[in-house]
Amino acid sequence: MFNTRNALNALWFTLACVVIFGCFILKNQVHDLENELAKINRNIASDMRNIHVLKAEWGRLNTPARLRKLAQEHISLNNLRAEQIINYSALPFENESSSVTVAVSDSKDLKQLVKTQR
Amino acid sequence: MLPLSLSKNKKNNFYNLRPQPSLGIGNFMLEENQNISAIQTCRNRMIWPVIFFFLIYLIITIRVFFVCLPHGIKISLPEEDMTEHEINVQSPISRADILDRNGAIIATSLPTVNLYANPKKIQDAKEAALKLSSLFPEISYDEIYAKLTKKRSSFSMIKHDLSPAQQAKVNALGIPALEFQTSEKRVYLHNNLFAHVLGYTNIDNVGQSGIEKFMHKRLTESSKPLELTVDMGIQDTIRQELENAVEKFKAAGAAAILMDINSGEIISLVSLPDFNPNIKIPVGEKALFNFITQATYEPGSVFKTFNTALALESGKIKPTDKFDATKPVIIQKRKISDDHPKNSWLTVDEILTYSSNIGSVKMAEKVGKDGQRKFLKNLGFFEKVHDFEIPEIGRPLFQSEKDWAPITVATVSYGHGISVTPLHIITAFSALVNGGIYHNPTLIKSATPKVSKRVISEYTSEQMRQMLRNVVLYGTGKKADVAGYEVGGKTGTANKTDKGSYAKTRVTNSFVSTFPTSDPKYALLVIIDEPQGIKETWNQRAAGWNTVPTTGKIIAQIAPQLGLKANFDVETQRAHIKAVQ
Repeated sequence: MFNTRNALNALWFTLACVVIFGCFILKNQVHDLENELAKINRNIASDMRNIHVLKAEWGRLNTPARLRKLAQEHISLNNLRAEQIINYSALPFENESSSVTVAVSDSKDLKQLVKTQR
Repeated sequence: MLPLSLSKNKKNNFYNLRPQPSLGIGNFMLEENQNISAIQTCRNRMIWPVIFFFLIYLIITIRVFFVCLPHGIKISLPEEDMTEHEINVQSPISRADILDRNGAIIATSLPTVNLYANPKKIQDAKEAALKLSSLFPEISYDEIYAKLTKKRSSFSMIKHDLSPAQQAKVNALGIPALEFQTSEKRVYLHNNLFAHVLGYTNIDNVGQSGIEKFMHKRLTESSKPLELTVDMGIQDTIRQELENAVEKFKAAGAAAILMDINSGEIISLVSLPDFNPNIKIPVGEKALFNFITQATYEPGSVFKTFNTALALESGKIKPTDKFDATKPVIIQKRKISDDHPKNSWLTVDEILTYSSNIGSVKMAEKVGKDGQRKFLKNLGFFEKVHDFEIPEIGRPLFQSEKDWAPITVATVSYGHGISVTPLHIITAFSALVNGGIYHNPTLIKSATPKVSKRVISEYTSEQMRQMLRNVVLYGTGKKADVAGYEVGGKTGTANKTDKGSYAKTRVTNSFVSTFPTSDPKYALLVIIDEPQGIKETWNQRAAGWNTVPTTGKIIAQIAPQLGLKANFDVETQRAHIKAVQ
């Protein structure tokens, strides 16, 4: 009886130790994770700050005044004019009535049309 | 010799070794058993410390083992738990960004540092001041020295908004009394472009004018960007054309406002001269004056648009009615004549097209004082524009009801004797052409439209659109007729007052327009202040020679940007194609 009681005590003690050990491990893990979280949050804050500055820089690079200057220097495109936007129905096709003065007998007219719009 | 025995002192709970009296052989056996039992008890009791120390070492061993593992122990949470965790990191800035209607940043804040000194910690103020003044040439040695030697103070601001390079240089000086304070600086990415819309902030990031002032609370309480209704590209195009016009016509200034007539949203607001809000602005500078919202001026003939709408809406006048414009009218001893007299009877449409003062006066007289006042009040001309997001706003100037004499009825009909802001004009004009609904103007993009009200009937609005189109086709607005976009509008040339009387050579010209008149979407008001006559305009300075062509240039560029399809006649287009060939 006495031995059984001692064994039980030993068992409970061992279990208690295991639980203590488990808690210890868990505490360490939580501590590690908290450190990791704080580090991640610091990194996110830093990245957000950097992204914010980059967005501002991107906005600055995209100012219309700068883009216009670059466009004038490097490409020969001008602003779109109203008369360059035409209806599909305005395209002169061959099978239309005789009142249509421009007939598309070959692709030359279309080429010319595209050329005029450039 | 007395045998020794272990006996437990029950009271003190520890063993005593003391001589025991001899008890004979029987007692010897008993004594031996007692000794064995005591040793056993000792052993039993020793087990617990042994187990305790064993576990301690075991824990240390296990811990050492896990520490030695490359990544420690990982606790794997279920997938859904991971997704539920929100990243709770504060925004890097305390004042929200401002965006245009397409989401492009137009104002933002950048994290910076301020440099301050703790004078109590300073060791050699002269040397520190010398080093700092060489680092920041814009601050004098004396100024820095005074700051470093400030008595009974542990804080003395040296310089705001240091760049990272400047911060590194200050650190390299190795002066322990110098410290940094994190801060942020408001930055306007487009310099002058949105000056009169955004306004500016002071050194403490408090809004001083414009949206920055009006929305200060919203910008500082929420980090969510504030979306405006203005369009960066359109704003740039209009500003550039206005700059060109100011240069070409040697004008004192220019302004323009573009409004979406169906919602009251302002797509563009430009007032020249303007300023760069990134640079400290001296108070009282002319460039700080927002012509669109602050300038109360006599609009001139532009007001005939409202007079015509009044006439039609009153029901007393039909579009076909004719009025005698053959000779000037005299009211209260004042003679009113036409600038370009037609010397004939004119219909309502012709009165607007040819901008007849006489015809306008006669129409207004027929409607009467009460009808005129009620109509103008309904269009918002008798009060400040409500709930507009720019705090610098002008109050209209007009006669009280008691002083609203017959001469006032007459002069107001052609835009004199009443002063309103350009914002009033564009808002009321939008209501006349959009089907008759008055929308409060706004600069904030919002899902919920502001309060609106009907001011004229749809029928009157339709007639107004036709008449405005005729002004551009046959009247003073010919130079604004952009092919395909059916522009309609009205010019106005108002003489400025000089010492109580009208100055002949100083005018403020306006042209208010809408496009396309068959299905209007936008209203544009262009104003040029004090344009000069040039060779190209035959030394004329009337609106038709400067504001009208400027409007034409603006519409030709912004209409495609706004996604408006040019409404060409098929045959016209084909003729154009043929002509190009």
